[in-house]
Amino acid sequence: MNINATLISQALIFAVFVYICYKYIWPPILSTMEERENKMAAGLEAAKQADDSLEEAKLTYEKELKEAKEEAANIVEKANKRSSQILNDAKVKAEAEAEKIIESGSKKLENEANKTREELKQQLSSIVVETASKIIDEEIDEKKHENIIKKAAKEI
Amino acid sequence: MAKELTSKSYIDHHLTNLTCGKTESVGWTCDHNYYDEMGFMAFHVDSITISILLGVAFVALFKLIKLNPADQKPTRMQNFVEMCVEFVNENIKSIFGSTDNKLIGPLALTVLIWVFFMNLMDLIPVDFLPELTKQVSYASGIVDDPNDAYFKFVPTTDPNITLGMALGVFILTIFYSIKIKGLGGFIAELTLHPFGKFAIPFNFALEIMQLLAKPLSLGLRLFGNLYAGEMIFILIALLMFFQSAVFGVLGLGLHLLWALFHILVVSLQAFIFMVLTILYLSMAHETGDH
Repeated sequence: MNINATLISQALIFAVFVYICYKYIWPPILSTMEERENKMAAGLEAAKQADDSLEEAKLTYEKELKEAKEEAANIVEKANKRSSQILNDAKVKAEAEAEKIIESGSKKLENEANKTREELKQQLSSIVVETASKIIDEEIDEKKHENIIKKAAKEI
Repeated sequence: MAKELTSKSYIDHHLTNLTCGKTESVGWTCDHNYYDEMGFMAFHVDSITISILLGVAFVALFKLIKLNPADQKPTRMQNFVEMCVEFVNENIKSIFGSTDNKLIGPLALTVLIWVFFMNLMDLIPVDFLPELTKQVSYASGIVDDPNDAYFKFVPTTDPNITLGMALGVFILTIFYSIKIKGLGGFIAELTLHPFGKFAIPFNFALEIMQLLAKPLSLGLRLFGNLYAGEMIFILIALLMFFQSAVFGVLGLGLHLLWALFHILVVSLQAFIFMVLTILYLSMAHETGDH
């Protein structure tokens, strides 16, 4: 065992290498590791959050779907009701209209018939008068015998 | 000097460093014949060179790999490097609790990887590099006798290396002790325990021994383990002196077995050196009573 200046020089060399490591080797490796650690932690956190929000979205989706279904059912029901009501109304209206048309038609018909009947009476009475004048061959004054004619016409 | 290869000269050769130093008679020299004249002003060139090379290897390994940014898949080497950093950090956390000391991490990482690399040199077959140096320096005319070319290639079997690193840790320990507790606090810690202010000299003697024992044991533990391991490799290699195929195969088998076992020692000692470094620094940060 010979202790000599090698010891001092080795201590100095040791110091130099520790300094190199301290200055140039350790920081970049450690910072990379720490950065990665942080990134991973953030990634895991984000994944968890995404999971949570997915769950939430699913719940919302189901709820909204249910609501939409209910609303759709409501709308369909309302539409059905409305359509049947419209149909009913239309039917009632149409029936009323038809009745009205029929009524007015029959009234008109009656009027026409009455009119025709009146005309026929007039004509018949004049024919009767003519015929009777021919028969009795005598000019009957229409004005004079108006009463008789009218009577006759009524009797027809 | 014995030129003939004996088991003693073989072992001696393996345990001798390539040393350069300053002598009175010839000035700076790397000639081992002047070794005793060098005194303290001597440098184990082999240990220093290999440890610097391995330190550079450590820096290169950890600096030259491509670091993908955090939002990309890390490269394979990046995974390895991050694993090392994670491992070091975990040890610091378990010993320190939490600390805002920015130096302890890089220090522990450097210690772990560098010491591991230096220990790992022990697994290179014992004669490989020394023999290579012998032949190269003889062929290039640096030495007249190949046996005068020494090269010890496991830095951690050199107490100068391990104690040098322990010295670095020791200085940091003192530095942080004074920084955290103040000079007064540090002196008080050295003198007022364990027997109060009426036994200051005794306390001081006790505490200073405790203080100095830490780096000494830190350096010597690593040195001792690796030196012993190296020694066993050398002793197994001595089987070749029997000049027999049977012993050759036996030696090969033993080398393999010891090398396999030594992988454990190599990594364990690097780990222990790192843990103790962290521990001593954490003790320097403690402000409570002992």
